[in-house]
Amino acid sequence: MGGYGDVQLLRDDGLRLDGRKLDEMRPVSIEAGILPAADGSAMVTHGLNVAVAAVYGPMEAHPRKIQRQDRAVIDVRYNMAPFSTGDRIRPGYNRRSREISKVTAEALESVVLVERYPRSKIRVEIEILAAEAGTRCAGITAAAVALADAGIPMRDLIVGVASGKVEDTVVLDLDKAEDNYGQADLPVGILPNTGEIAFLQMDGDLSPDEYNLAMEYNFKAAAEIHEIMVDALKRRYEGGEN
Amino acid sequence: MVELVPTLLRQELARLAEDDQRLDGRSQWEGREVSLEVDCLYNAEGSAKVVMGKTIVYAGVKFELRTPWPDRPTQGSLMCGAELRPVAHRKYEPGPPSPQSIELGRVVDRGIRESGCIDMESLCIVPGEKVWGVMIDIHVLSDGGNIFDACGLAAIAALRTAIVPAERFDVGEDYKLKVNGTPIMSSFTRVGGRYIYDPSEEEELGGDERIHITLGDEGHLHSLQKGLRGVFTPAEFAEIFDVAHQRCADLRTLVANQEGN
Repeated sequence: MGGYGDVQLLRDDGLRLDGRKLDEMRPVSIEAGILPAADGSAMVTHGLNVAVAAVYGPMEAHPRKIQRQDRAVIDVRYNMAPFSTGDRIRPGYNRRSREISKVTAEALESVVLVERYPRSKIRVEIEILAAEAGTRCAGITAAAVALADAGIPMRDLIVGVASGKVEDTVVLDLDKAEDNYGQADLPVGILPNTGEIAFLQMDGDLSPDEYNLAMEYNFKAAAEIHEIMVDALKRRYEGGEN
Repeated sequence: MVELVPTLLRQELARLAEDDQRLDGRSQWEGREVSLEVDCLYNAEGSAKVVMGKTIVYAGVKFELRTPWPDRPTQGSLMCGAELRPVAHRKYEPGPPSPQSIELGRVVDRGIRESGCIDMESLCIVPGEKVWGVMIDIHVLSDGGNIFDACGLAAIAALRTAIVPAERFDVGEDYKLKVNGTPIMSSFTRVGGRYIYDPSEEEELGGDERIHITLGDEGHLHSLQKGLRGVFTPAEFAEIFDVAHQRCADLRTLVANQEGN
């Protein structure tokens, strides 16, 4: 986490700088099936974050050494567009995007029924078009909707959410200022129906009680986002809007 | 990924060409409907989204402060790059920039640069010390054919709506980037033996060489590119050049209308 103590992140009335309550998430909207070239796709707008996910496959896994005899591998690329942040990002992979891609792939392999597709590969491309804290979570949510849109069987959806700590107070869904100057960040990927956790990272400083509260907030937010995900998929396939 | 040459598709395209028809019912010089949205990306200083059929492209403009090149102490710089990431189509693979994406970025770059629509001197803040570097990044999200025209359109629309973030860099107040002109690209592919405007994905797959023409406001040529295997005659070029004039004028009007909104 960045430095803290010198920036006020909670207002005198107890609300956050953008007027949210402690356990209130930023607005989320989701659209499924937005990319015609992909087998499945989704766009997630989470606050000011915009994440797009495309799914290709299942397809033949190559090079052959990545093949698994008993299951499919999920090949995830998380990438931030050069214009997605305040200062331009040089195109290409960096250590941060490689790590996020790796743990996201492992989280998705935990929910997709990969054993149905031995020796194959499912490509998941996550592109961040606008970033304002919480892009990995928006990316996970987008990937889950895109996988469902591609008709790939899954045990459950997976929802990316984060809570954290600012000014010694646990808050749900950090925005940019809270992420930069806060004290902790706890992004997770939650399976909304089973209540399991497939993605977990954390940095900063949390007491056990603070961790429990942050996780409680995360589960509450996951249930809300889950409804929006299901709604997006229904709109795509029940001939509603779209 | 190995692309198979679809013999049946080529035969079908040749058969349609004989009757002056196209796979999706368009006439020879008819483009797909183009949707253009500007100012659509939160962190970019200028942005645009272009949708043409199954093709979706975003462009974003970013600025940076840099020291000028020693031989051009009063000039800023402009750079335009395109990324053909694997998100855009199953045929694109991860890795360093491919020759296709480099060609794409450079052809778009030349059209904008050579049109002179950006006065490099106007990007100077302190001669010899501090100038603006303008960077246009093009991101192809879905390749449904003719990404060249989509990228060219997104790039110039993003540039024309860009705000120079002077306050953030502590060098004065934000102001609108001055752009003198709207260079527009038109692309043609040989399909079934004759040229067509605005190829679809199938027409690119079953077609031959392509020609890209970028025209400025006065109808002058600013960039030309012939890509892929094949040859053409001067008479063929004269014909598509006439079409390019009209198509470029139509798209220039579209950009102007979007800016007005």
